[in-house]
This record gives sequence, C-alpha cells and structure tokens, in this order.
Amino acid sequence: MQEDTIIAISTPLGYGGLGVVRLSGTDALSIAQQIFRPKRKKQTFPPRRALLGNIYDFSKNEIFEEAFLIFFPAPRTYTREDVIEISCHGSPVVLEEVVRLGIKAGARHSEPGEFTLRAYLNGRIDVLQAEAIHDIIHASSIKQAKISFHQLEGGLSKKLLSLREQIIDMLSQIEASLEFPREKLKISPKSITKSLDRAVQTVLNLVESYNLGKTLAEGLTLVLAGRPNVGKSTLFNALLERERSIVTPFPGTTRDYLQEKIHIKDSVFTLTDMAGLDKTTQPAEQEGIKKGKKLALEADGILLVLDASKTQTNEDILLINKFEGKKIILLFNKSDLHKKMNVELFKKGHPDLASLEISALTGKNISLLKDLMREKFVPSTGKSEEIILHLRQKLLLESIYSALKLGRNLLMDGYSEEIYVEEIRKAVPLIGELTGEILNDDILKEIFKSFCVGK
Amino acid sequence: MIDCDVLVIGAGHAGCEAAHAASKLGLETCLITADLNKIAQMPCNPAIGGLAKGHLVREIDALGGIMGFQADKTGIQFQLLNRSRGGAVQAPRAQSDKALYRKDMTKFLRSLPNLHLVQGMVTQILKNGNLACGVKIHTGEKLFGKAVILTPGTFLNGLIHIGLEHHSAGRDGEPASLELSENLDKMGLRLFRLKTGTPMRLHRDAIDWSLLKPQSGDQNPVPFSFRTKTRLENKILCFIGYTNAKTHEVIHNSLDKSPLFSGIITGIGPRYCPSIEDKVVKFPHHSRHQFFLEPEGLNTPEVYVNGLSSSLPLETQNLILKSIPGLELAKILRPAYGIEYDAVDSTLLSETLETYPIANLYLAGQINGTSGYEEAAAQGLMAGINAVLKIQRKKSLILGRSEAYIGVLLDDLISQGVEEPYRLFTSRAEHRLHLRIDNADK
Repeated sequence: MQEDTIIAISTPLGYGGLGVVRLSGTDALSIAQQIFRPKRKKQTFPPRRALLGNIYDFSKNEIFEEAFLIFFPAPRTYTREDVIEISCHGSPVVLEEVVRLGIKAGARHSEPGEFTLRAYLNGRIDVLQAEAIHDIIHASSIKQAKISFHQLEGGLSKKLLSLREQIIDMLSQIEASLEFPREKLKISPKSITKSLDRAVQTVLNLVESYNLGKTLAEGLTLVLAGRPNVGKSTLFNALLERERSIVTPFPGTTRDYLQEKIHIKDSVFTLTDMAGLDKTTQPAEQEGIKKGKKLALEADGILLVLDASKTQTNEDILLINKFEGKKIILLFNKSDLHKKMNVELFKKGHPDLASLEISALTGKNISLLKDLMREKFVPSTGKSEEIILHLRQKLLLESIYSALKLGRNLLMDGYSEEIYVEEIRKAVPLIGELTGEILNDDILKEIFKSFCVGK
Repeated sequence: MIDCDVLVIGAGHAGCEAAHAASKLGLETCLITADLNKIAQMPCNPAIGGLAKGHLVREIDALGGIMGFQADKTGIQFQLLNRSRGGAVQAPRAQSDKALYRKDMTKFLRSLPNLHLVQGMVTQILKNGNLACGVKIHTGEKLFGKAVILTPGTFLNGLIHIGLEHHSAGRDGEPASLELSENLDKMGLRLFRLKTGTPMRLHRDAIDWSLLKPQSGDQNPVPFSFRTKTRLENKILCFIGYTNAKTHEVIHNSLDKSPLFSGIITGIGPRYCPSIEDKVVKFPHHSRHQFFLEPEGLNTPEVYVNGLSSSLPLETQNLILKSIPGLELAKILRPAYGIEYDAVDSTLLSETLETYPIANLYLAGQINGTSGYEEAAAQGLMAGINAVLKIQRKKSLILGRSEAYIGVLLDDLISQGVEEPYRLFTSRAEHRLHLRIDNADK
C-alpha cells in the first residue's frame, strides 16, 4: 500500500454538467471530512452512499458549491485503498478549487495514471487489465471497447494464466524426472508434445488476433481508387457527409491524397481520397498518384470507382487487375446519368467482386454501400476468443511462441529433456512480463505439489 | 585462553570445509565441536551427491575442498545419475560408510598443522563493538580470533519429536545448544524455526532381503574428486521396496499422534523431503510409495530407510514396517524423528556469508536455512576462504550464478532468503546447461 493520499480531477477538463474529483489513500476519508460538509449536521460518511453536502474551505470557514460525496472503503475499490469521489458541477474553477483544498488538507496531486498504477501495485488488476482500462477510455469504436472490457474482466489474463499453468505443469513433470532420477518418474514425450502443441496453438491464435485488434483499434484503411474524374472525391464527401474534398468538373482536381475517419455503426474506417490513376505529366499529380498507389496496395480494402455514364475502357480493367488479391468493391458511379457502360457484362467478367450502382452526387445507394463496406471489409471477431490490441503484447507473445516452438522442435528431433526444457522454460517469465505478475519458484512449487519425491 | 586467526564452531560438513580451507590457507585455525567423536557425522542419509549436489561436490573439489575426495575414499556404492541424459544433468552419487567417513575426516583434519581441534559447547559469541572477536564455551573458557565461522547445524534450540513426545536435542542423543540462540537473537540476527526429519534405522539381520529388489552401483564408477586416481569399488547393494494400502491405513489411523498434523510442530519442513505421513495424506491417489534400504556402512548392522522419514510414534513406526513385505520382522535400532531448530534469516548475510549486523561473523550450513551435506560444505568452504581473504585484506572470492552452482546457492540465500529448508536443484540455475560436472574445475 502506498502511504500518501492522492487527489485529482477525474473528468475531462472543460465545462460540463458534472465534474468529479477523486481521492485515494489511507487519509482519503479524513481529508474529505475537512473539505466537505454534509447538509444534515453530524451526519457520518456512510460507505457507498451518495451524501449531499457542500464544499468547505476550512481556512476561511465558508462553504461554497453543492456536491455529492461517495465514500468507498478499502479494499473493494478501484485502487484497493479508501476512495472518495466528489461530484460537483463541471466547472474547471470549482474543480480546481476542490483539489486545492484537498491538497491543503494533506493530499498530493496524483501523477498521470496513478490511480490505475495503485490498482496494479495493490494487486487489484494486472498489467493487461490496466492496458484495457486505457483502451476502453480511448476506444474508437464500441466493438473495441467491448473487447477491452472483456480484457478488463480478466478474459485475456485468465487465458494466459491457464497457459502458464499448462506450461508449468509440463515443466514440473520434466524437471521432476531430471532432478529425481532415482524415483524413476516416467514422462511421456507424446503427452508433452501434445501439450506443447496445444500451448503453441493458443499463443499463435493470440498473435494472429493482433491484426484484427489493430483493425478494430485503428480502423480499417480503405482507398478510393479509379481513373480521374469518375467522382471519387464526390463519393468521399458523400461518405463523410461533409464537403471535405474539393470537387470540380475537371479531371485531376485532387492531387495529393486526403484521409478522414468515418464511423459506420460500430466500425471505424480510415478513408483515403486520392488522385485519379492515369498518365499525367503534372509533377505534383504524379507524386500524388505514386503515394496513392502505395496506400492502395497497403490498404485493407479498395473502393474502385468507375464512371457508369461512360463506356468502359481498358484502363478500368487494368486497374482491377492491378489490385488483384485485395478486397475490392466495384462502384458504378454516376448511375443517375444515362448509362453507357454495360454494367451487367462488367459484373459477369468479375463474378467474385462485390459491386453496386451508386450516385455519389444524389446519394443514391450510399447507405447500401455503407452496409456493404461493413459486410465486405470488417473481419468477424468470433465469439469468446481473446483479441490483443497492443504491439507490446504481440511482441511478447511472439517470443513465447518461438520458445515453445523451438522446444517442440528439439523434442521432436530427439534431444534430451534438459535441452528442450531450456527453451520451454523461457516462456514462463515472458508470460509473467505480459501480465505483470512475476512469481518465482513456480516450477519447483508444482513439482512438490504434484509429485511425492524425496527421501 | 587460546588465540587463533579463525574460529570455526561446529564440525559438521560446513565446519570441516571451513576449518580445512582456513588452515590450508595458512592461518591458525581452531575447530570447536561439542563432541570430537562426531566430526563429519552424517545425521541423515548415508550418501553424498545426486543432482545439483554432485555438481556442488565437484565445485568444492575444484576449489580445493575435501568432501569429494573423502567421499570417494569412503564410498561403498557409486552411481552416475541421469546417464541416459546430457552431460549437464549427469551427477555422481555415492553411498558412504558413515563411520569410515567420520574417522577418516577426523584423521585428516588432525593431520593439518595449523588446525587445532577443541571440544566444547559454545555458549556465546564475543564481540568488540559490532565486531565478532571470539567465543565463550560451556566451561567459561574464552577463545579469541579474527573471524568466527558458525556452523551449528540443527543444534540451535533443537527439539526432537517422536509422536507427541518431544525432547531437547541437537541430534539423536546429543544435547542441543540453548544459550547460543538467545545470544544470536540479541545481536540482531533474526531467528526463525525450521523443521527436518530422518527415517528409522533398521537391523540388517531382521530384514527379509529376498522380498526386496536389489540395486547395484555402476560398473565403472565416476569419482567426485579430480584428485581421486584409484579405481572405485562397489561394496554393497541397496534395495528398493514399496509401501502398500495397509501401510497407508496404519498411517491414517495414527495421524492424531502426529506432531506434524496436530500442530505441535510449527517449524516449516522441506517440500522435497516429505515425511511418509505427509506423502500419504497429500497424495491419496498413490497406492504405494517407493523407499530405498541403504546400508550405513560395512561394519555396522544399521540400515537407513530412505523414503520413510517420519515423526509418528515408535509403535506406529513398528506397525508401518510390519505392513511391508520383507520388513515384517524388522527391528528398529533408531526411531525416525522430526526435529525443529533455529535458523537465521539468510538475507542478513553478505555474499561472503559474513553477517551484516556483526562483522567478522560468518554463518554456514543449516543455520542459513539450507539442508543437505553438500550445500553445507559449499557454504563452509566459501565462508572459510573469504574469512581468510578478509583477514589478509585481499579481495573476496565471489562466484556468479553463471559460473557455479555455489554462486546460485549463495545468491539465492542472500537475495531471496528461505521459507523452508533450502535444497539446491539444477532447475534453480538459469545457466544449467553450462554448469557441468566435467567443467567444474575450469
């Protein structure tokens, strides 16, 4: 337990209906008693009950501001310490004053993230859960927030703990047979291999979930591609529902690329508008096309825009071929005009591509397009599988994967136990690093828990 | 009044190595023991070595210690363990002739010119400020030295339990050291209780050997010591037996007479060396437990029952034996017992095993919370060497975790402390593949 009591404004700075000041530490209650006066005289501070009162400036002996106070006694609190929450009006000056009074009464202004740090140091959450709290607060979609909530509930931690248990169980069998050769403890390479395979698969699934997690956190990147003047910028604006991109009747208006985030229901997309892909002698436009092509090749998906009011050209076909292997939605734009392109024939030529006739200008089928974008591009998150959202987690999981995999290969190649175990046992502290929980002596503990060895 | 450079208290495996090292390095050394006939006594199993322990003995030998050479000389059965595995986890183990080991070590120590053997029970560490400068023995006599190495084993406030009866003793039949504990406590060395135990010894003539499975030593024994040049010979067989359902029933029926389960023993015992009642209670799904019958020497009828350590009453011990084929008529020469003793918090030690509160006072062996002859010897050796180096104002000899099992052992002790009697395992070493018996001298 930390010794001092910390205080901070917990709601974002700015004007609002409500603002909350939070205290945590052994003196939270006594400090609160100095700066808060309940309306009803002589009232105590009951645990977990909202108490109406006033903020009290003890040096001036005056009250100001009406507020609610809730006292959360340790240990069932966010930090496992005594916690006080004071809800005032969301006025920066009032909230700053409450903090000032709290500091005067003995509290210390918290460092950034210190409440969560205390929750971790006091053993209420592990590092993964601390990361999840950050992720919920900064989630860019409700889907991501839900994944983080699952992680906060301990989903990922539990999975890793059971992975660690499994590895330790395996190690203890092997170590016991190494350390107590006279006891003739039998180990079956077959069951060890099986267990290793299971562990490797678990880790691999987590590593692979990172791409999905990243998508959910950062949004899918989509590029609007097509020849000049097919209406890409008009579509860009239509999807954004505002005039972000400059639109003119002339080809080559968009030179550099533009990026904006859009939310479609619970998903986030980063949309890129770029110069039309065509031969040009204009150097700025050339540069824009170069960048755009690169973005298009790295994107999660492409909205390929065609002008349905013109007859199709070879360039259109070439473009489709250029993005082979990428997820594409074919859009026949300007469908409000007289159709010159043989859309049906075009579709037949590319039966595997999703397509839609739209008019960016009139808004025709734009909402259908939004549905189609979610359907085509957003990967399914599965049911209960854990998804990792952080590069830190991914890198550690990759190291765990390599250790287990190498151990498994050495085992298959017929190496002696002490050799392959050397690799497998590297996984244990790595899992500890992942969850932030370092326990020594785990393997020996397990040996003595599950084997009866010794004289 | 005797004046020495180094005073070593206790002549067990830690004390012998410490005294040998200090005298060999040229300092006048005094080895003080309560009983000169019990020098290098093995109070528990008649064996030296095994995984990690065999490694330790090799390292002790490489550093000029004596355990390995003496064990080779007085060994009566030799085995290299984990022969089927790689070099890093192979380790020698030897059955010892206990009496011979004791006698030969005594003879050897007596031959050292700078070493003086003194019989006496130490009652007090003498200090000059915060510097240890000598000891007082039970006769009131004072001995002075520049360093004091304390290796009291299980003697500090030792309390032997057999069933619900208990009595003060340092080892079977030997008086405990009572005053010294209090003295250490007053000097700021935090004490705590540990527990260990030993199985019964049987008379070899009352065992039906035909019902037990013999186990022989290696055909080409591998010695501990790099100095051993003679060919080692296996002179005895060990035997393997098993407990059974009847044994377990007997044990269950007398748990109310177990000091361990009735809460009389408060000291913490080693997980790796559980008593038979512990094994039966904790592993109810095991239908039997293996044990070894190991002769304690060539000229003694005593047979050690490795695996049946216990603190149950004598009558239960007899019933246990009666339930086991081959041991039905077995005669107990010495009962199994549990023993509680004081140990010092090893985090109060520096890496040379000198205590922080009292300079020039070194602790080695079970007082530091370890268990095992080899662990004790390794500490005694390092304390002895470093006490001399300090007196000579030379740089200490510190071995790292990546250099030697001794480094792992000492580092674990001083940085982690112990909660139960500490035994070295190869898995405690991060660099297991590099710490090998065949490179211990490199």
